[in-house]
Order: sequence, then structure tokens, then C-alpha cells
Amino acid sequence: MKEWNRLGQNRAARMDRAAGLARGKLVAPGDIGALLTRVIEPGDRVCIEGNNQKQADFLAKALAALDPADVHGLHIVQSVLALPSHLDVFEKGVASKLDFSFSGPQAARLARLLSSGQLKIGAIHTYLELFGRYFTDLTPRVSLVCAAAADRNGNLYTGGNTEDTPVIVEATAFRRGIVIAQVNEIVDAVPRVDIPGDWVDFVVQSPKPHYIEPLFTRDPAQISEIQVLMAMMAIKGIYAEYGVRRLNHGIGFDTAAIELLLPTYAESLGLRGKIATHWALNPHPALIPAIEAGFVESVHSFGSELGMEDYIRARPDVFFTGPDGSMRSNRALSQTAGLYACDMFIGSTLQIDLQGNSSTATLGRIAGFGGAPNMGSDARGRRHGTEPWLRAGREAGQDGFRGRKLVVQMVETFREHMAPAFVDRLDAWELADQAGLDLPPVMIYGDDVTHILTEEGIANLLLCRTPEEREQAIRGVAGYTPVGLARDKRAVENLRDRGVIRRPADIGIDPKLATRDLLAAKSMKDLVRASGGLYDPPAKFRSW
Amino acid sequence: MTSWLEATARERIAGLLDPGSFTEFVPPEARITSPHLAQLNQPAAFDDGVAVGRGTLEGAPMLIAAQEGAFMGGAVGEVHGAKITGLLERALDERAPVLLLLESGGVRLHEANAGLIAVSEIMRAILALRGAGVPVIVLNGGRVGVFGGMGIATCLCDRLIMSEDARLGLSGPEVIETTMGVEEFDAADRALVWRVTGGKNRAIFGEAVLVPDDIAAFRAAIRLDPVPLDVEAEHALLGARLDRFGAAEDALDIWADLGIETPARLPLLDTDDFLSAIEGKLA
Repeated sequence: MKEWNRLGQNRAARMDRAAGLARGKLVAPGDIGALLTRVIEPGDRVCIEGNNQKQADFLAKALAALDPADVHGLHIVQSVLALPSHLDVFEKGVASKLDFSFSGPQAARLARLLSSGQLKIGAIHTYLELFGRYFTDLTPRVSLVCAAAADRNGNLYTGGNTEDTPVIVEATAFRRGIVIAQVNEIVDAVPRVDIPGDWVDFVVQSPKPHYIEPLFTRDPAQISEIQVLMAMMAIKGIYAEYGVRRLNHGIGFDTAAIELLLPTYAESLGLRGKIATHWALNPHPALIPAIEAGFVESVHSFGSELGMEDYIRARPDVFFTGPDGSMRSNRALSQTAGLYACDMFIGSTLQIDLQGNSSTATLGRIAGFGGAPNMGSDARGRRHGTEPWLRAGREAGQDGFRGRKLVVQMVETFREHMAPAFVDRLDAWELADQAGLDLPPVMIYGDDVTHILTEEGIANLLLCRTPEEREQAIRGVAGYTPVGLARDKRAVENLRDRGVIRRPADIGIDPKLATRDLLAAKSMKDLVRASGGLYDPPAKFRSW
Repeated sequence: MTSWLEATARERIAGLLDPGSFTEFVPPEARITSPHLAQLNQPAAFDDGVAVGRGTLEGAPMLIAAQEGAFMGGAVGEVHGAKITGLLERALDERAPVLLLLESGGVRLHEANAGLIAVSEIMRAILALRGAGVPVIVLNGGRVGVFGGMGIATCLCDRLIMSEDARLGLSGPEVIETTMGVEEFDAADRALVWRVTGGKNRAIFGEAVLVPDDIAAFRAAIRLDPVPLDVEAEHALLGARLDRFGAAEDALDIWADLGIETPARLPLLDTDDFLSAIEGKLA
């Protein structure tokens, strides 16, 4: 007779081995190594909750400290590798295979471990892909998650940074896996239940509150006047032109400048209520002045941002918050909103090639991209029509049959150390060769990019009808880079006549007027003032 | 309101002096650049990072120098220093008041001894003016602040006008951390750095007149009557300060000691509220 509950029996065996280590669901911090050794089996798929921001750092360290004689060959499935301990597990021989999305801070070490053969990479995913695989062929057997607080029944309160927790726990718990949560505190009653206790097997109070990184804070003092110019071009030449209301911004100073120009420049163009009203966005402090000016109707977030807690609590009409007042974020759902329900993604990059492929990958670093590839791609399954989406579809010659998402790459022609942003060949290709990857790590595919915006102008790739036109449109905004200098001047002037390339003057922008005086906040203190004292920036951004 | 912090050296001069009255000495078109930077293949500036010249303030003739913080942090090299010293020596000849719009990390290390000598010549020229009763006023509101040798030079002048964003010190925060350890001074703790070296603390010590970050406010705070120089009294004052506050770990301790209510709120206050909060509580 066929056995239909092997997963459940295996789970019961693991729970039996762990018996006696927990009082109810609570495990003492000192017993965490013993618990992990008893519930994890060699070769298990294990998910360490490594978000963009909140990190299960105590559990990650405990996993890295296990004896490889007991626990080895683990297959780590984890969205973000942010901490050294996330790679220590491979160096120590506890784990050997990795499927992930983003490894920004650990990218260089990851490349070294890969080349020394200490780990194998399954694939570098987008967030949604990896989450999708949690529910198909990469379901975790044991998950180590992170929350702000738990009660004695294991009910978890994640705080504003819910991020990946619901996805990880759902995939693990409903396939008879084991869920272990580290929390900052054990309380009698959690402020709200983000994860029901019967989905959680063990809770351990971390000796120190979990690490959290303020990734989305940009100091307005560092925004340059070129960035102000590009922000003006974006607002007038794209946002206003298409009437973009539902959107996602990448992180970086280019898009922070746009956020800070909404209450000033966009207001002067009469665009309040007409653009940028609904956002899939982390709570960027740079958005505060636009929110205060009445530009923003709603913001749904992937995660929260340090220092924004009180401001969010005081603006429940704008942010998604629980009955307790604190933010509820959710990376999977906000990514879905960004992919399917937004009409535009706009973000920065480091390199763009002649096909419009765009990548932030650089040699010797295996970083992945996290969310940008999902939001910076056309959702071909989309069915609902909006004016910007339909217009982009018409411009692409799709005749009302289907629209297009606007995917805008924003980049200065030269980046740091005078490295040209426009290149004949992306570094991503060489990186793929070096690291033996199946695919070059391209962040946004050229056939998804609709506009390239530089200080030289906007190239509307939707209007290009041949690969040659597309190449000249890209060269035409590449300025004095070698790629730009190699343009066919007549072809570029022809594209300009057709409105495929638009210079600042063509959209009525005088670069002389692009000054920092247009920024609604020029310093962190201005952001605090704009928030009425509710925003409390992390110490590294404060001079007071 | 025009921000001093955001303005360039020449924008500060233009905003401060009577419109159109500024005439620059050794202007950029003269292209007197640093010979040392060229040898090191470092980029040069045609004014070597400082503009000097004459103009009028409410009709009164004035000599003026403005350091450009965006060029090598306003660091003083040989040419840069010679331009300031030359201006100060001219002021002695003409008995004309001097406005020094400083923003500098101190000596330009690339120029080593030439930079050190340049700073000491600036100090000597300032003291000569003090002795002759010709006022020298420092205006400090830039992002870099004023540190190193220019910090000492600032303390030799008649008056100092500062905004809360500006800083004044001898060794910069990173230098203190590197030489004395992070326990002594955590340079990454920006709030601590500003509490100790920022314009507000300097105002509490009576070293600076605090103004908002506005060129017009700087202009309105300029007073040209010379302050008599009494070196011994100055030393006694500094000695007493060290006796009273030498054990303090943080400016917050000092502010509490002075009887200022809830000192932790001081850094957040606007200039006017701050000045009323510290009224009668100066060190």
C-alpha cells in the first residue's frame, strides 16, 4: 500500500528528536545549536530569512556554527544574502548549494566561494521567481525566520518589515516543514498577528534585536544638479506625457530627485493628482514632501524603512497599516503590484548596451538584482487597460491589441571615475563566462526597456521600428561616451525630428534652471521638518 | 532666503557684498595654479580654490577672501595661501577691514611644507592686523567647516559668524578617531561630531555668533568694530574652561552643566528658538 504521508512522518521524527529542548514553543538561546542539529537533516533545503532589510542574524550565525559532521550538504534557498554568516555556512561545509535573488553586500565573497568550488549556484532569481519556486520545486524543509515579537503560542508580530516572512512560512508550514523564528522579545500579547502561531514550531528570543539596514534612505544633500535636470526631464517628458499614476521607483539618487521635485516642479506644471498617485514603493523618506503636498494617494511597500515608523503610523490614508497602526509590508504582494498593477518602472543602472540591455553586474561580483527585473519588465499577461499602458502599446505599434508597461532606465552618460555608462558589451557577459552561469546577469532586458533617459535627452525606444533605429536612438543620448561619439549624426537628427530622441530644449526645459533650489528638501533635516518631526533618521544620516 | 551652505565661494561673495562691487585679484583667467598638484598629476583649479578681491559692504570698502570647499575641501596650498596672505597684507597697508569666508580642512597635504608655511603666514598676517586694530571677520557656513591650521587662524580673528551646519575644530573627527581611538571620538556618529564642533556648541561657548543658513543673515551679523586682543585674558579663559568641563564626554554634558533645560533638544531647534533656549546660559 502506498504511503501518502511521508512528509508528515518525517516531520514527526524531527519534532520527536527536538522534544525536551523547548518549553511549549520557546527555546532558550543557548539551546539553538542543539535544536538546529536535531531538526535539520543532511541535504535539507533550508531557508534563512534574509530580506532586503530585516535579517534572521542570530539563527544564521547559529546555523554557520553547526558541526559539518552532523549537518552538511544543505541547499540554501534564500532571497537576500546580506550578512557574512550567510556565506560562512558554505565556507564551513554546512551547506553546499545556493538558490537566491540578491547578494549585494556579499557579492565579491560569493564570487570567490563559487570559483573555489565551495558552493554551487542553482540560479540567480528575481524575487517572484524564487518565491514561486518555494511553492513548486524549492520548498524549504526547515525555515529560519525573523520577527519583532512573539507570544507564547508562537504568534508572530513582524513589525513594519514583514517582507518575506509570510511567503517563507506559508511554503514551509503547509508542506510539513519546520519553522523556527527568532524574535526580539517574547510578549504576553502581540500588537497584531502577522503569522499565526500554529504555523510556527519554535521561537527563540535573540540576545540582540535583529539587524536591520536602512537601504532606501538617500540624503538630499548629495543630489547633484544633473540629477535635478534628469528629474525635470522625467517629470515633463514621461510622467506628464503619459499621465503615469501607478508606478514604482528604483532606489538611488536619480529617482530620489524625482520624488523631491514633485511638490515643486511637478506642482508648477499643474500635475498634482495627475501623476504619481499610487505607488509600489518602500517608504522612501524622500517621498515625504510629495506626500505632505497631497501628491500621493497610496503606497504599498515591500518592506519598511528605519526611522519612518512614526510618520507611517500618522499617515494611515497613505500607507498600508494594521489596526495597531504599524506598517504591514509584504515583498511578494508588492512585487506583484509592481509587475502587474503599475504602468511604469523607472530606475538607475550602471551599464546599457546597444540593444538597451541594462545591468548593474560588475566583474568579480555575483550580486543578482532582487526586485528590479520583475518590475522592470512588461507583464505580457496583463489584461486591464489604462491610458499610459495603452498609449505605450500604440507607440510600439500594437494597435490597441495590447498595451506596454513603461520601463525607463535613467543614467548619466558617465558614472563614477568617468566610466562610460554606455558600452558595446555588458560586463555581465564576461561575468557569466567567469562564473559559469547559464545566463549573463542582465537586470532589465533591452526588449522590455521603453525609454532611456540621460542628461543628453530621452530616447523613446517604443517608436523605433528597426534594430538599427534602436541602436542610433541609444547612441543619440549617450553623449560623449565612445558609444555616443560613434553615432550616425544624420540618423540621430532624423530620430530627433520624429520625436524618438528629445533633448531638454525639445520638451521646453532650460538646463540653466535645473538647480538644487528646486528640491523640496535639500538636507535630512529638511525631510524631518517636512514630516512635522515624525521622521526619525538613523544616526548615520543625522548631524544632530 | 539663499543658502550659504549650498552656495559656491563666488556666490557667497556676490550675495554678501553690494551688487556689482566685487573686483577679483589674481582671477581665474590669470591661471595661477598650484605647481605641486601638477607634479602629482592631480587636477588643478585656475583660482587654486580661493577667490580674493575687494568690494563694498553698505558702501564701506572691504577686502574679501572666499575658499571653495568643493575644490580639495578648501585645503590651503602654496598659491591658495599666498593669495590670502597677500590680501591680509594689503589690508594692513590700506587699513581696510577683511571678510574671510572660510571653508577648509586645513593644510593641503599634497603640498606638505609649502602648505604649512602658507598657513603660518596667514596666521602672522592676521595677528599683524589685530595689532593694528584692523578687523578681520570669519564667516563659516560651508559643508566642510573649518579645521586644522585654518581652525587656528579663525580663532585669531576678531569675530566669527557661523551657521549650525558649519563646524570649527583643530583636528578633524576622523583624525581624532584614528590617532586616539573610537572610544575617544566616534567620527561616524555625525550627531556627536556636530554637537561638539558645530555652530551651536561654538555659540554656547561664546566663540561664534550663530545665524541661520542664509547669506542675508550672515551679512546682517557683520560688525566691523575691532575687538582688542588680550592674549593673557584669552589663556585664562581657556584654562578655566578646561578646569570646569575637561571631564565632559560629550557636549550634552556641558550643556546640562550650564543649566540648559533638556539639552538633547538643542540640536533640533531653529536658530531663534535655540538662541532663546541658551539665553543667559553661555559658558
